[in-house]
Amino acid sequence: MSHITKEEVFKAISTVIDPEVGFNLVEMGLIYDAVIDEENNVLVTMTLSTRACPLHQMMIQWVEEAVMKHTDAASCKAEVVWEPEWSFDMADEHVKEKLNQFANR
Amino acid sequence: MNVTRDFAPPFSLIAPFFLMGTLFYFLSIILLFFLQSDATLSQMQTIGWVHLFLLGFVMMIIFGAMAQLVPVVIEVGHAAVDFFYIIWPLLTLGTLMMVTGFFMAPALLPYGGMLVLLSMVIFAADLFATLRKGERRSIVVSSIKASNIFLLLGILSGFIMALSFGGVVDTNPETWLKTHVFAVFGGYVLLTIMGLSMILLPMFGLAHGFSDIPMLWAYRLMLSGVSMVAVGSLLLLDLLFYAGVLGVIGSIGSYAYQIYLIERKRARKENDIWVKSLGVAFVSLAVALLLSVVYLFSGIERFMMSGGWFLMMGFVGFLITSHLYKIIPFLVWFERYAPLVGKQSVPMLHEMIPLREATMQLYATTLGLFGVGAALLLHSNTLLYAGVSILCVGGAFLLYSVYTMMQYGKEVL
Repeated sequence: MSHITKEEVFKAISTVIDPEVGFNLVEMGLIYDAVIDEENNVLVTMTLSTRACPLHQMMIQWVEEAVMKHTDAASCKAEVVWEPEWSFDMADEHVKEKLNQFANR
Repeated sequence: MNVTRDFAPPFSLIAPFFLMGTLFYFLSIILLFFLQSDATLSQMQTIGWVHLFLLGFVMMIIFGAMAQLVPVVIEVGHAAVDFFYIIWPLLTLGTLMMVTGFFMAPALLPYGGMLVLLSMVIFAADLFATLRKGERRSIVVSSIKASNIFLLLGILSGFIMALSFGGVVDTNPETWLKTHVFAVFGGYVLLTIMGLSMILLPMFGLAHGFSDIPMLWAYRLMLSGVSMVAVGSLLLLDLLFYAGVLGVIGSIGSYAYQIYLIERKRARKENDIWVKSLGVAFVSLAVALLLSVVYLFSGIERFMMSGGWFLMMGFVGFLITSHLYKIIPFLVWFERYAPLVGKQSVPMLHEMIPLREATMQLYATTLGLFGVGAALLLHSNTLLYAGVSILCVGGAFLLYSVYTMMQYGKEVL
């Protein structure tokens, strides 16, 4: 079993889309870090765009499932933190541009 | 603590609240055909209409929304979630009996009032028991707590009035009227809306980094304002009563400023149906406040009637309908698509909204809202019925949109 990288973990998590805004969690800047130990156990540190997110538990589950499905991780645990608090500045530039458009829908 | 899927009430429990609420919304529009443009607040038909709108539409939707949102806000599951299965039938039956009572058979009022009282006591019982389980303290939790104490005060005073109208007890309903109106509409409806706004508006608009001090003041002013109104009106202390009214107006003003702060920090600039409907709601609030001030100085009742219309149908009505386009798709998605994430393609929430019909609803209801508001100012029945006719079209589109959103993806189950 090869040792997986942080990039692979982030790539796996980028398959998880927030159904409200339509962007994945990585480009939203919601994934803070991923630590992978010698045995490929993954610990993802993430946050949510709001503390009152009704999808809180589901998001954690989706992240863990995505990592397990798309990488060779032996296990994956996602942990939600509130410090630092997420802000719009943490999102990728193209997300900011898209959300900042005064589009009509 | 996380909000697990287990905390979320099943869609089958919440759906009837939204469906019945929308039906009552449509029914309340139809009932406007039976009113006159020079209607006054002392007429039983006017009071009947207000109860239909507030109990059948506003309370019904708020209860459904609270069933979903309380676990999210307090971060614990409901103490007795199954209570919600009996709340909506009791509220439906009680509302229908009360409205019938106001329009044609006052003897029904105590019975309808008893059913409404029962539904609300059950709701409050679950809520207080749930609040006791939670440890989270915030301005939203405080608002929910206080608003439910006012709900109990409001429905108890209302029930005493219903007993009086039905000839069961010998008391002057006028004594309880102000307490009833301010406790229910200001203390419960507005305070609940204020609290939930602090969750929903930043969440959907992706707003961060704003001060919540104005909301804190809105909460304090509403709390003290409604309390002063209740004591002042029951003890016939006019000065205290008017100080309370000023407190309530100040609370609404502070809340409006809070919304402005949130709007300034809104990262998501997209003008979807939610934003547009919210826009109509807050313009209506401004119009309502303006008309109320004119009424306070002039004493001419038509300004109060029109202001009340914009406050209820415009501000509260649009605030609620705007969120139907967010909450219902989310509930349906959560029930039908959340388990499929990562396994197959799932829709985005906005794709579940019938956009054309929702847009028609927005335009027709806005036009009807201003038409009726003008008719109440000008005492023009022609304008009133024209406005109501357009509102009917908007109401029908809302019914269609709600039904369509609820049916979305039913085949995936």
